[in-house]
Amino acid sequence: MISPAALVKRTAPVLACIGLLAIWQVASLGLKSDSFPTATDAVRAIPDILGDKESLINILASLRRMAVGFGIAVLLSIPLGLLMGRSRAVSAFFNPLLMVIYPVPKAALMPIIMLWLGVGDITKTLVIFLGVSLPVIYHSFEGAKAVEEKMLWSGAAMGLSPLQCLVRIVLPAALPEILTGCRTGLVLALITMITSEMIARQSGAGNILFNALDMGQYDTVYAMIIIVGAMGICLDAVFERVRTRLVRWSEPQFDMPLSFS
Amino acid sequence: MMPRYLSANVIFGLTPIVLVIALWQGLVSFGVAPTVLLPPPGLVFSRLLQQLLTWTFQEEIVATLIRLFAGFAIAVIVGVSIGVAAAASPVINAVVRPIVRVLAPLPKVALYPALLLLLGFGHGSKITLVAADALFPILLSTYYGASTVEQKLVWSAMAAGTPRYEILFKVVLPAAMPSILTGCRIGLVISCIVVFLAEMITSTDGLGHALVTAARTFQAVDMFVPLIAISLLGLILNGLLGAVRSYLLRGFPDA
Amino acid sequence: MPSSEWVRPLTSQKPASAILEIDRVSQVFQTSARKEHLALSEISLTIEEGAFVSILGPSGCGKSTLLYIVGGFVSPTRGAAKMKGQAITGPGPDRGPVFQEFALFPWKTVLGNVMYGPRQRGVRATEAEAQSRALIEMVGLKGYENFYPKELSGGMKQRVALARTLAYHPQVLLMDEPFGALDAHTRTRLQNDLLNIWERDRKTVLFVTHSVDEAVFLSDKVVMMSNSPGRIREVIAIDLPRPRRRNELLLDPRYQKYVVDIERMFDESEEAGAPL
Repeated sequence: MISPAALVKRTAPVLACIGLLAIWQVASLGLKSDSFPTATDAVRAIPDILGDKESLINILASLRRMAVGFGIAVLLSIPLGLLMGRSRAVSAFFNPLLMVIYPVPKAALMPIIMLWLGVGDITKTLVIFLGVSLPVIYHSFEGAKAVEEKMLWSGAAMGLSPLQCLVRIVLPAALPEILTGCRTGLVLALITMITSEMIARQSGAGNILFNALDMGQYDTVYAMIIIVGAMGICLDAVFERVRTRLVRWSEPQFDMPLSFS
Repeated sequence: MMPRYLSANVIFGLTPIVLVIALWQGLVSFGVAPTVLLPPPGLVFSRLLQQLLTWTFQEEIVATLIRLFAGFAIAVIVGVSIGVAAAASPVINAVVRPIVRVLAPLPKVALYPALLLLLGFGHGSKITLVAADALFPILLSTYYGASTVEQKLVWSAMAAGTPRYEILFKVVLPAAMPSILTGCRIGLVISCIVVFLAEMITSTDGLGHALVTAARTFQAVDMFVPLIAISLLGLILNGLLGAVRSYLLRGFPDA
Repeated sequence: MPSSEWVRPLTSQKPASAILEIDRVSQVFQTSARKEHLALSEISLTIEEGAFVSILGPSGCGKSTLLYIVGGFVSPTRGAAKMKGQAITGPGPDRGPVFQEFALFPWKTVLGNVMYGPRQRGVRATEAEAQSRALIEMVGLKGYENFYPKELSGGMKQRVALARTLAYHPQVLLMDEPFGALDAHTRTRLQNDLLNIWERDRKTVLFVTHSVDEAVFLSDKVVMMSNSPGRIREVIAIDLPRPRRRNELLLDPRYQKYVVDIERMFDESEEAGAPL
């Protein structure tokens, strides 16, 4: 049996979604503006978009690029971050470069990369890759840096080589922090994907949004917003589930608020 | 020796940056990439300096900065207030927590078309987008900082006769300051990025618009200039906030 | 049952000089959805004005919780604590805490920390500063007024914490294992200094510790607590002359006997099967 309190806690995000949609509904009914359809109108337009073959293919293609970009970024960034965290030389070498790249808006590179590589999948995937890399490197770096020296000594005393230490001690010890980075990276991948599609206006979810906007199909605009928002929330929720499963051994993450009164 | 060690590290760290620029120059000099597509670094930086002195480019920067600061300021005020309130009151917490869980991972840029429809193509929609994007890191880190304030700090202040409502301003807020400023730092860089992207998507002025204009006419040099300008702006603002931070947190260990 | 003459049932006549009364206080903590932990069970204790009283016990016996209840930081599940006949409902400047964790405000300098209490009570800035400087000198930190806590060692931090609490003139000092985080050498120095400061005005002190030597050295009486649930085991009057000098006292057979007796009593309860 689930206690009522636990039930409320579990359904709270769903309740929040319903609450937000309700606020939207009331606000749009109050405003009575053409450019602000009601929540029910927007929700009703969702099946049309997902039923339309072309836009569905478009959205799925976007998601595939996102997955590839995210995957490659994670595979390359984690080893680099871990090395930076364990070696002062490696971190001194890369840190300034990463600091300079940090404030560059990655999606804004879209037009420039398009100039070089055309508008194909490579360009779009590359931009997503760039967007995801930095947070994953940063968190892997922080995670590896925080690994206790004594733990590595114990490993070395048991006869592990430096590489084995990195894979068998640093990687698992830094995993909670690495996964936090991946979670940020995943949301950023979606953001970069949408933004670059809005800038390039060739295909994908971001393009559907602005095409509908240009053609005055306001229901479609808002329906797309719900779809993209739902993608973000679902990706995050699924990843969070995987994450808690993987790092169940670690200290419980900060969750319960501590009231100061 | 600390200074010598530092300077060696600085040279070491500058190497990859120099290498990147050298590679860039090399690609152009050896004709691998045509100048039309990849202008040489010297040309880009001299163009940047030249542009910085022109009135029109300065106007673009000012437009971007206004949106950036307005959005960021709103995010700081709203984020810190909600964050502290959620840490202080279990009722507010119960309401805010699920809403934040839903809204934080939502790609805010998807809201941009709706903001355009509701607030028009001017400053309003861009400022709101910047505020929406910068809000969550600030809110979450404020909440984290305010709810992990050492209980005994609060007790000490209460025993010294501080009334409950003053505890918020005299203990919780200053004690949460390191965490709040970390959130602000993340929020500020996000603001820089978002304002630029919003201007690229639709705008009539601002640095982002300058990039799009250049892209339409295939002026590769002019595409690089605003991009470097916004990145420099991000670095400078980040540095300024870092200075403010080390001043405000001078009492805190390892700040 | 506690058998000492110092523990009087509250039904009997109150001593005229009682400043703190703890009346059948129990504390229950919810450890999980269904489990409860009885941290304190029916504690009754009366503390006379001007007495230096130590609460001694193994870790987890609820001795700090008892102190927090007196401080008004935690409200007891059952029973009540009274200060001069008034029920304690919350923290107040009549009871000043000194914590093991120092709990100094990191954003304030030493002077700022010490001035906090007087300023909070509406003392004018110049006056508060003069008082605070005098206190800082008294705890031996003259010259460190403008340092931040992070620049001080543990012992110095605890001196600042003591000065900060003394600055608002509490009638009772509540010390929660104040020297527990310090190294042995610093601890003995601070014990000596605390006694010297205490000799001047003989404020009431409630002092929580797990060190037998410390309790005997400092106190007029030692309240021995036992574990799970926390109960008072024995209250022992320490009849040693004051002012106490460490080098004389350590050689004093009476002091040695107190220490040995108390340690033996703890050993006995351990052998009797009470988990530590």
